[in-house]
Amino acid sequence: MEQLFILTLDASNFILAIVLVAMGLVIIFGLMNVINMAHGELFLLGAYTVVLVERAGGHFWFGLLLAPLVVGLVGLVVEELVVRHVYHRFLDTILATWGLSIAIKQAVVIAFGPASHTVTNPIATSIEIFGTPYPVYRLFIMAVALLVIAVTFWLFFRTAFGLAARGVIANRDMAACLGINTRRLDRATFAYGAALAGLAGAVMAPIMSVDPQMGLGFLIPAFLAILVGGAGHLAGPLLGAAAIGGTDTLAANLWSPVVAQIVVFTMAIVVIRLFPRGLAGRWFGR
Amino acid sequence: MLTVQGLEAGYRGSRVLNGIDLEVAEGGIAALLGRNGMGKTTLMRALMGLVPVAAGRIVFQGRDIAGLRPYAISNLGIAYVPQGREIFADFTVEENLKLGLVGKPGGAGTDPASAYRHFPILAERRGQKAGTLSGGQQQQLAIARALVGRPRLLLLDEPSEGIQPSIVLQIAEILRRVAAEDGLTVLLVEQNVEIVLSLAADCAFIEKGRVVARHAAAELARDRDILHRYLAV
Amino acid sequence: MTGRSPSPLLLINLAVWGVLALAPLGLGAWQVGQLAQYFTYGLFAMSLALVWGHCGLLCFGQAVFFGIGGYAMSLVTLGMIPGLEAAPSSYLGILFAVLLPAGFANLLGRFLFYGKGLQGAYFAIVTLAIAVVAERLAINWTYIGGLNGLMNVPPMTLGLLGGGAEIWDSMPVYYLTLTLVFAVYLLLEALTRSRYGIVLRAIRDNQERTGYFGYDTAGYKLTAFTIGAGVAGLAGAVFVTQFNFASPPLIGFTLSTEVLIWVALGGRTMLLAAFLGAILVRSMENVLSETLGNYWLLALGLLFVLSVVLFPRGLIGEIIHRLTAPRRGVVGRNAKPP
Repeated sequence: MEQLFILTLDASNFILAIVLVAMGLVIIFGLMNVINMAHGELFLLGAYTVVLVERAGGHFWFGLLLAPLVVGLVGLVVEELVVRHVYHRFLDTILATWGLSIAIKQAVVIAFGPASHTVTNPIATSIEIFGTPYPVYRLFIMAVALLVIAVTFWLFFRTAFGLAARGVIANRDMAACLGINTRRLDRATFAYGAALAGLAGAVMAPIMSVDPQMGLGFLIPAFLAILVGGAGHLAGPLLGAAAIGGTDTLAANLWSPVVAQIVVFTMAIVVIRLFPRGLAGRWFGR
Repeated sequence: MLTVQGLEAGYRGSRVLNGIDLEVAEGGIAALLGRNGMGKTTLMRALMGLVPVAAGRIVFQGRDIAGLRPYAISNLGIAYVPQGREIFADFTVEENLKLGLVGKPGGAGTDPASAYRHFPILAERRGQKAGTLSGGQQQQLAIARALVGRPRLLLLDEPSEGIQPSIVLQIAEILRRVAAEDGLTVLLVEQNVEIVLSLAADCAFIEKGRVVARHAAAELARDRDILHRYLAV
Repeated sequence: MTGRSPSPLLLINLAVWGVLALAPLGLGAWQVGQLAQYFTYGLFAMSLALVWGHCGLLCFGQAVFFGIGGYAMSLVTLGMIPGLEAAPSSYLGILFAVLLPAGFANLLGRFLFYGKGLQGAYFAIVTLAIAVVAERLAINWTYIGGLNGLMNVPPMTLGLLGGGAEIWDSMPVYYLTLTLVFAVYLLLEALTRSRYGIVLRAIRDNQERTGYFGYDTAGYKLTAFTIGAGVAGLAGAVFVTQFNFASPPLIGFTLSTEVLIWVALGGRTMLLAAFLGAILVRSMENVLSETLGNYWLLALGLLFVLSVVLFPRGLIGEIIHRLTAPRRGVVGRNAKPP
């Protein structure tokens, strides 16, 4: 029983971490039809912002607050310089952002070196759950992820910005004909998605080894999560991350992490092929 | 209020408009007639900035709007009700109307209730998904959505398409009233000649991407041969 | 190509292949060997240009087929295939190296293209995931050497059942590779200029419309994907005979994205440009990674972005396009689907 509970906790942890990364991806994909391959590197920049803050003598919490701002700003620049030029060439957005990811990763290598850094864990205590010690910081990460989900849903379903954004997702041309400034919306959305990636990187930094390769490890599960869950719906990444993270944790416990990855990827490919609009598309209608 | 001069526009590889000249006077309803595929819808889309303009000028209230983006054109006071209506089917009626407002400067706070005055059926259905409305109601919603932003010029493409005649007359009546009350100018594309003759004062005929003739509606009502010449297949 | 005066494109082709045929005369043995290796990458790049540039399938896992080809060649020539231990023949190896990836691509394509089918971005992400899984599998499969891979893969041999003369020196390796690459180039050129190639590009530009004309678009994509995989496998086979090893990175994600960069920089819609793109990037890397160090990859990344945004035809493709533009324009107009 306790073991099952811990297993569930581990799975939730992984699932919420994927959601944290996938949320920014799905917003950018849903609104602008841009596959942002540089998302993993924006995540990376979030983590390195914390590294930089700590190096300068600042506290982790300050870094955590600064990271989304810095990375959001980077998103704004990237959108203006690169992404907006390829909006109308769908597949090229993948390539352009992929090139960006190479450049950003390499810039980080040049600035910080290829070796890994550690970020201090600001809440390095554990609490007992059913007699098993569980790190408090992991619970904190889960809380942040839940908060991000709540804020994002509020933003998209309760505000004028969200209404406009959903209008653009549903019918870009018609929304523009109603006077909605699609350019400004694209810019804001890309920056918001980037800021979420930065926040995710910063919040995950204390429990990961911060190195230039850390982005990729999350990018692919996050992509699979939004495709499995359905890219056309904000609930997509939640469902997809649950499917991916749950299967992964289970398979890793039953067999091994390698088998788990293979099982998860294969499952994801099959689901994407059978339900191109994802689980959300299948269950929630459109 | 709207002057189009030598407008050329089209899609990749094929030009549809070959030098449109058109004058729409302030107030009242003007109609655009022509057979299918002659460029009526493309003209509407070009006026709205949805189709790139290759040459020519579009002057609206003294300002050349050719090349502006659709949202900028909308915010200058031109509203568009496209063929097929393009309402947001998954959104509620109220949300559809709010979408007509959120983009307008200071519009996000405005209440869409003004739209319900002309279209009481929409008030009844305000919480319903727009996709569940009947065709006629959807058309009313599309028009209401365009009107909440208080445009000066309304581009209305095939409002009667796929709608029962009785509802069409009802919509026509509302349109005439709004045009008269709010001083709105309407540019109407319509296949149904009876509606055109009952609503419009002025008709332009479009053929192969050019405006080939203009007649007052009263003249057309007297001499149906003119209509036959431009519209018969 | 049958015009009375030679077309600019024909002249460019003659110049490129002529220079490559004569290049060893002015180069040292080491450089000749290097260039032969670049040809292999160029061959690999052409396989992606067919699949992506001509058919619109943005494949993020093309190295999977390259890797399968490399491993197949290694296993055969090392005598590790049960029942075939006695025939470590290069010919047999090449056969396996072409047929195995082609067969795998065919099965995969049947799953991905038919029915509702996978569109653009989804295909890219799925192939990316497949590349990651393939690399993971290779690392954990001890039969094919696990993380270390297979060592001491022999060079090409002429003997029918293995053995015989070894193609080992840089000169013979160079001309063998060049001949092979040129032959495949001619075949692929013929393919892309045929009616079949025209339909492929029509699918790339507008799959739905091409479908309306009654073409079995899934079938066309499937054959292109299969042929591309076979060519990639052939490149993998040549690679292992040149480098004498096969290891998990050959089958994985990183190489898959590298080849994308070569093809994008060279020119995705032109086989020759893609081929030269691979050679160009590889040579530049050779020269510049010494002097620029870490800044080389940064520069490459930015160059890649720039090329995607400003020159979708690729850098070399753009040059060739400008040199040949008027004539190609006419061809392009005639080349519309019926």
